Amino acid sequence: MSIDPITLTVIWGSLNSITEEMGSALRRTAFSEAVREGQDFSTGLFDASGRLIAQGNFTPGHLGAMPYAVQNVLAYVPPQHLGPGDMLATNDAALGGGHYPDMFLVAPVFTEATVIGYVVTTAHHVDVGGLSPGSQAVQGVTEAFQEGIRVLPVKLVHAGEFDPDLLRVILGNVRLPDKMRGDLMAQRNANHVGGERLRQLFASYGAEAMADAIDVIIERSEERARELIGRLPEGTYSFEDHLDDYGPDTPPIRVAVDVTLKDGEATVDFSRSSDQVPAALNCYMNYTRAYASFAIRVFAGIDLPNNAGIERVIRAIARDGCFFNATWPAPCGGRAAVQVRIFEAINGALAQADPSRAMAAFSHWGNPNIGGIDRSGRPWIMYDLLLGGYGGRADRDGAEALSPVMNCANVPVEVHETNNPVRVHRLEMITDSAGAGQFRGGAGLRKDIELLCDDATLSLLGERHKFQPYGLFGGKAGVPARTVLRRDGMESELASKQVTRLRRGDVVSFRLSGAGGYGDPCRRDPQQVRRDIRNGYISASAARDLYGCE
Amino acid sequence: MLQLAFDIGGTFTDFALSDTDTGVLAVWKVLTSPDAPAAAVIDSLSERIGIGAFVPSAIAGVLHATTIATNAILERKGSRTALITTSGFRDVLIIGRQKRHDTTNLHIDKPAPLIERADIFEVTERVAPDGSVVTAFDANHAREVAMRLSDADYRSIAVAFLHAYANPSHERQMGEILAALMPDCAVTLSSELSPRFREYERTSTAVANAYVKPIVASYIAALQTALGELSIRPELAMMQSNGGLMSASQAREAPIRCVESGPAAGVLMAARVGAAEGLSHIMSFDMGGTTTKLGAIDDGVPVVTPTFEVDAVNYRPGSGLPLNITAIELLEIGAGGGSLARTRMGMVSVGPDSAGADPGPICYGRGGDTATITDANLVLGYLNPDYFNGGAMRLSAEAAAEGLIRDVAAPLGLSLHQAAWGIHSVANANMERAMRVVSIERGRDPRRYALVAFGGAGPLHAARLARALGIPRVIIPSGAGVGSALGLLSAEHKVDAGLTHVLRLEENARATIAAIFAEMEARVPDGVGALSRAASMHHVGQGFEIRVELPDDVTDIPAMREAFFARYRQEYGYVDRDTPIEVTDWAVVATIGAAPTSLLALPSREGTGRSGSTRPAYFPEAGGMVETPVFDRSNMKPSTAIHGPLLIEEPECTTLAAPGDSVTATLHGNLIIDIGAAR
Repeated sequence: MSIDPITLTVIWGSLNSITEEMGSALRRTAFSEAVREGQDFSTGLFDASGRLIAQGNFTPGHLGAMPYAVQNVLAYVPPQHLGPGDMLATNDAALGGGHYPDMFLVAPVFTEATVIGYVVTTAHHVDVGGLSPGSQAVQGVTEAFQEGIRVLPVKLVHAGEFDPDLLRVILGNVRLPDKMRGDLMAQRNANHVGGERLRQLFASYGAEAMADAIDVIIERSEERARELIGRLPEGTYSFEDHLDDYGPDTPPIRVAVDVTLKDGEATVDFSRSSDQVPAALNCYMNYTRAYASFAIRVFAGIDLPNNAGIERVIRAIARDGCFFNATWPAPCGGRAAVQVRIFEAINGALAQADPSRAMAAFSHWGNPNIGGIDRSGRPWIMYDLLLGGYGGRADRDGAEALSPVMNCANVPVEVHETNNPVRVHRLEMITDSAGAGQFRGGAGLRKDIELLCDDATLSLLGERHKFQPYGLFGGKAGVPARTVLRRDGMESELASKQVTRLRRGDVVSFRLSGAGGYGDPCRRDPQQVRRDIRNGYISASAARDLYGCE
Repeated sequence: MLQLAFDIGGTFTDFALSDTDTGVLAVWKVLTSPDAPAAAVIDSLSERIGIGAFVPSAIAGVLHATTIATNAILERKGSRTALITTSGFRDVLIIGRQKRHDTTNLHIDKPAPLIERADIFEVTERVAPDGSVVTAFDANHAREVAMRLSDADYRSIAVAFLHAYANPSHERQMGEILAALMPDCAVTLSSELSPRFREYERTSTAVANAYVKPIVASYIAALQTALGELSIRPELAMMQSNGGLMSASQAREAPIRCVESGPAAGVLMAARVGAAEGLSHIMSFDMGGTTTKLGAIDDGVPVVTPTFEVDAVNYRPGSGLPLNITAIELLEIGAGGGSLARTRMGMVSVGPDSAGADPGPICYGRGGDTATITDANLVLGYLNPDYFNGGAMRLSAEAAAEGLIRDVAAPLGLSLHQAAWGIHSVANANMERAMRVVSIERGRDPRRYALVAFGGAGPLHAARLARALGIPRVIIPSGAGVGSALGLLSAEHKVDAGLTHVLRLEENARATIAAIFAEMEARVPDGVGALSRAASMHHVGQGFEIRVELPDDVTDIPAMREAFFARYRQEYGYVDRDTPIEVTDWAVVATIGAAPTSLLALPSREGTGRSGSTRPAYFPEAGGMVETPVFDRSNMKPSTAIHGPLLIEEPECTTLAAPGDSVTATLHGNLIIDIGAAR
């Protein structure tokens, strides 16, 4: 390979910046709160042979599934059937991102008659039909056919224009067709922008230099990933934890992982976990692999934009029919509740390999959907993202109120209240919720939402109501999560993945768990304890009990 | 009349003195005094007055840009500040928007907030999105809170209630209580400073304003007094982030509008230079020691954005504190002369960290021990070691070469010149990518633009940057090294007023729109000149807006729709006529008072007397190290073209033209580089 270091640097930087530009176009023209405020989308670039070469700073579940989604889409519609401006779509759970709301749009990029690569966007569409608003209900969904419209790979965009017939079929099956249409158009914008920039890059450097550069990028990334994984002590590390359940009155799901580090490669095996469940929580392999790969990259400190080279050294497996390798038609709409736990299980295992890189468990998160028809007959869905604290780390406290594992933004209260018949009564961090430790976890988050219209459906997607976020090395677990329904002055507890009807005046109080602590609380700097008391993170009495100081 | 302009930057304080009729009389710069920024200004002015350079009482206008507000935020050295917010929403400021600015790094922390959670207090009240009152303002509770704040010795207070943009009455009542009980405390109301939706961003803006308010107020008072003692009596006019000037008394109320005022002044200068040369489409390129600022001017007008982010980490979007202030569109990247060069994975990496002024690049000989862009430029022969900063500093090429070999050439198996060229090229490539964001990504075709390059390092990198982007022409303005101070002379007194009122752009909206503008225009002081009106619009359902300049008749709905479609197509390539349009934010901008200095050309200066000399410099286009002509800028006469490769020296900077480029001086004292055909 004869490419010089300077050209290589410039090309690599440009490839990564193209994916950022695509993200900017997508976010700025999107219609749903999930995409435009929550940034629940991702972008990527692939070479002509379908190898991942660059991805933007977006959410790992999409990013990790993308390489497989592209291969799967091209298996259905091979490149020889594609022309300039064509785009392929799929939202299939097994072929794509693990649940139907994630729609992939894959576009070949041409110079004259030759495909030089592919640009790809994925976006979480706020509703794709199915049992309940938001298409993420867990309870009551026993097979994938209840989860909404399933689009196996099709050519949705012909020479830059949406196929009007296909679009009509898709939009006819969803609750908020205007938002879906708008977000699909935003995805097309982003692919258009990415394709133009990739073409310019090829024109500047020539196909040969580009091919050389891409080979070197993938090769060097693989070398670097091997080197970094190789710095961790070899061995097999295991960890076990449990998900609450898969709906009211169901048993826990075992999350068991064995991580093997050998010869600079990592193998993550979830086979000892529970079987797939008859509720919409299962993980298809693409999803498990995405977060397993992400967890290894984070833990090993692989500080490179993701590409096929890095993918080569990280392997994720699980036996067929396992909860983490579900088989069709297992329902999966709510699988987003599991991603934090894939990461945490691997983190828990590898904490034994290198305590300095580990962090205690997160506050977890909540992803409730509330939806219905308002007084004017307009369908609405409030898609919310409740994001709490990080677990304590080896050298400092866990971060407060930051997106855990997946990488999204919250939706402002003023935006929700403007667009939906709801009123938020409080949004605050919960005193005395954080797991104690030399370095404590972040606080849990509380949000109380009142329904202002006659009725609505609430699909809960929470966790850690029964199994607390773990602490590490003497750090304490965080206080468990609760979801409380207040109706007519009476309070009742909801299960973490319940689906229920709401009535006017009902207030749902979401209370995320506190994150876990790291290290023995007795070793905490008393100054830090006093600061926490002053700031209301802990009460004086809890400080006395947990830390033995005033 | 005489106008005095000064821009206090991180390393240097730049001055310009002008006569509004005849143009610039003098420019100069002195080292900044970081601990007491006014001191260096007063010392330098005293000295100039002492030697009779100007008569202080003749100065009729004093224009000023400062980093004092920015630095107080960056260094977390603002005043003791409290926030009062709606009961139940104490943590809006701490929670923020929650996305990681770096996906694969879970060990990052959010930017430290300006105040602690203990500094945030709740008051019982609640307003709905339509402005109706859900829970009445509890005046007794408010008074209790004010008493607690009074006891706790806060110097400044921000008030930010939920949906206050829709109904400010509760914030105003809170303000009245604070004024009565804490008369010495500064107060900022979010509904006055920034009546716009999205609670985190509005609260962040109000808190940042409150945080710097006492500091800026006392700084302005001290500076004004010291100037008065020199018999310079006009009220200071302060530069805003949006490129307009405001009076010192306005700046004391809304100091947050002065963040990044120096770079904004530079963009104004670029616009003015473009206008003088008859060019209305300009990209501005201001490359200093630590960072590079890129801006864009369309149709002669600098682009103004509705928001700004301060204290970003490595310039990553979403990593800083958001501010709802109008700001001249600027992209700031971590590549300046002092940016550090290293190797990583067999490649060259440059920046974003910088050697700054202290210790500075290796070649300064002041303790710097890591190779920088400036070291590479010196080794490449682009800089004259004996004429840096007009000869005030001498550079060591030997030390620079040693460092380059050790840090870059040896690890990568390159020759010294290959390594230096690599650093120069990678720096250019970083700037090229950033410039693409400002240009192509935002719908600007570089082939239609001219690049105005200034700052200490801008004129050296501009020709190659232009070539990489396909920009056909570069302008190196007169006085390129003090571009921001000159920019102050280009500024107009501006007042803007804005508010959020979400409204569909349909025929029945005419009366409402008229009322909105009547309300905003009532907030603009009397005696204003031209008014311009703008609205931020999107399709119903979208979350981001495009700012659209409105026709004079703001009730001409079809014309407003067409203005939106035109901007949308420019940004994203498509137009969707089926989906309704909505306006979220409305703005008026008013221009007040005297017109700025019309001519920015410097008076003729003493030359270096070295025109006609040559020195070896690296031009791979010409085969490597070649004997290169060096010209003295003060000797450049209009109309004769000279051809690259060449170097042009002046006290504050050096201009480079590559093989194929040709350079002409213009009647206005600017240099124009016509970029040769692409490689």
